[in-house]
Amino acid sequence: MPSLHRLHRAALYAAVFGTTIVAISTASAEEIIIGAATAQTGVLAPYDQPALAGLRMALDELNAKGGLAGKYTVKLMIKDTRSDTAQTATVAQELIDAGAKIMITPCDADPSISAGQLTQPLGIPTLTLCGSAPVLTGAVGDVMFGTYPADNVQATAVADFAVSEGKKKVFLLTSPDTTYTANLPEYFGKVFEKKGGAIVGRGTFTMGQPDFSAEITNIKGLADKPDLIMTAAYEPDFPAFIQQLRGAGVTIPVYGADAIGTPTIKALGKLVDGVVYTAAGYAEPGSKLEAFNAAFTKYAGHAPESTYEVNGYEIGLILDQAVKTAGSDDPKAIRDAIANLKDFKGITGKITYAGTNRMPLRPVALMRYEGGEGKHVETLIPDASDVPAP
Amino acid sequence: MIAQQIINAVSLGGVYALLALGLAIVFSIVGLINFAHGELMTLSGYALLAALVFGLPFPVAVLVAVSCGALAAVAMERVAFRPMRGASVTSLLLTSFAVSSLLKVVFQNGISARPQAVAMPGWMTGAFSFGDFTIGVGPSISIVVSALALIALEVFLRRSVTGTAMRAAAEDFNVVRLMGIPASRIIATAFLLSGLLAGLAAMLWVAQRASVDPLMGFTPVLKAFIAAVVGGLGSLPGAVAGGFLLGIIEVLLQATLPAAIAPYRDAIVLSGVIAVLLLRPQGLIPAVRVQRS
Repeated sequence: MPSLHRLHRAALYAAVFGTTIVAISTASAEEIIIGAATAQTGVLAPYDQPALAGLRMALDELNAKGGLAGKYTVKLMIKDTRSDTAQTATVAQELIDAGAKIMITPCDADPSISAGQLTQPLGIPTLTLCGSAPVLTGAVGDVMFGTYPADNVQATAVADFAVSEGKKKVFLLTSPDTTYTANLPEYFGKVFEKKGGAIVGRGTFTMGQPDFSAEITNIKGLADKPDLIMTAAYEPDFPAFIQQLRGAGVTIPVYGADAIGTPTIKALGKLVDGVVYTAAGYAEPGSKLEAFNAAFTKYAGHAPESTYEVNGYEIGLILDQAVKTAGSDDPKAIRDAIANLKDFKGITGKITYAGTNRMPLRPVALMRYEGGEGKHVETLIPDASDVPAP
Repeated sequence: MIAQQIINAVSLGGVYALLALGLAIVFSIVGLINFAHGELMTLSGYALLAALVFGLPFPVAVLVAVSCGALAAVAMERVAFRPMRGASVTSLLLTSFAVSSLLKVVFQNGISARPQAVAMPGWMTGAFSFGDFTIGVGPSISIVVSALALIALEVFLRRSVTGTAMRAAAEDFNVVRLMGIPASRIIATAFLLSGLLAGLAAMLWVAQRASVDPLMGFTPVLKAFIAAVVGGLGSLPGAVAGGFLLGIIEVLLQATLPAAIAPYRDAIVLSGVIAVLLLRPQGLIPAVRVQRS
């Protein structure tokens, strides 16, 4: 209600100074509500919270400079989804009712889609914090944007790397429980086969499954021994799997993707030596990301846990740029501006939405755990023609 | 490979048996299915982590963690369930759900929503080899610990006065009280034992999973509940049988189902449970005094 706001202010000044000040009203900042339906509790909280912290930092900085495009002060409204898909829809509706013009959704496709079902008819641009399933944007429609490197892009990067290492035979471990755990290893398999590798076996698990021993015994019993296991399992399943795998005396390397780039996995120490994963960027000395990490540490009182923080921060920058381009706080104009973003200079590298299905083109950093530390392997943007269709 | 899968099955079955036994002991005496049993495990897991962070040697840390589970169970009884004594089965059940939810939120907000890695000593991830046959140290410990715990419990229930009183209480609590045995002591002991079992199960669970998280109690308590029901609610031998049966079926299906059907594993297991209950509605080894919750 900007007009009421201005009236209020003008009245206040009039009361204080006993004069009517007309000029003041045009200079006053307007407010834009960003709704964040994110997990404060439950399995997604360890992913949503770091990303949200990054976004908050960006919005605080922008607000100090007058808000988005220097004009629209951001009011960030956060509601807990409890990592539950139905609850996500409920709080998304509450945020819409409160006047949200931009929606932020959790780090997973399913809850993001449930929120997107509500924002799509209203044309409210909706960005997932770090949901990376490439089917996500198509499942909702033109208001839905991914922000993190998509699963098929990440999988291509890992597959390219595995092929360059001379790996020939892979075992894929998937779980049908989420799009991420089900599809990412399969994207890897597609690229790996196309480049001359072979899939020698497949296994599945249920998320939260207590015991991987049967699956591991199957892997040990394969006639054609894999030289690599690819999985998108994350915590707490990934630690359980690798603990039991190594416990059974299997030393085959295990590769994964972004969801295992976390302090929990790093803290497993020697157990995860040699595990390759992905990140949205790597803080090389003198890079913008290194500067961000320092600034974040000052802001939050602790260093970033992963690249989800910087990804959240970049969402703030993307929104700022989009509002600048749109020249207004109209949700449809903001949506169009995001969709046409090209070579936007973020912290981790260039981000492009134009010409994509709203999953951004952006660099992927490959990392490897060694001695309890994440070591940078390389940063690349996979060739678009190699990336398998979602 | 078949021998290997049998070891896998026995190792998982042993953990389920410990969990189911923990539920069954309390149920046989108070008629309560304690759904906060899983949170006792979580608590023991965090206690282990804390003890290791404070630099305690591994065996001491395990001891501390298991005792924490046992004490927490007694405290839980004192705070949440004693005031509800004599209440209906439904009220007790709801109370246990409330305790469970409350503890989960406390863990999430007080510690962290993120799982915490628990670095197990290196020897635990080792394996013995006999030719091309390997047995992991983890599963072996699981089997040995479960067996010892089951034997120790059996000896306690058969040979000690309190144990005898508990067995009697499971058959007819009122008569036991008329014999002059204090009810509170029996009930507190039941919770203490269930907490000990939860603590032990938690150690085996964490050793296999290498992390603790606020929600980690959910799956085990569910499995324990299924095992206890299949075995015969309130029957201790039944709980053990149910636990092993569940573990064996799960591993067998995971090992043999083709990849396309594997996702339906849990559905198949639960259908099996329904089939068992249709044939034997009171469970595999029914309790002497059958209760229904």
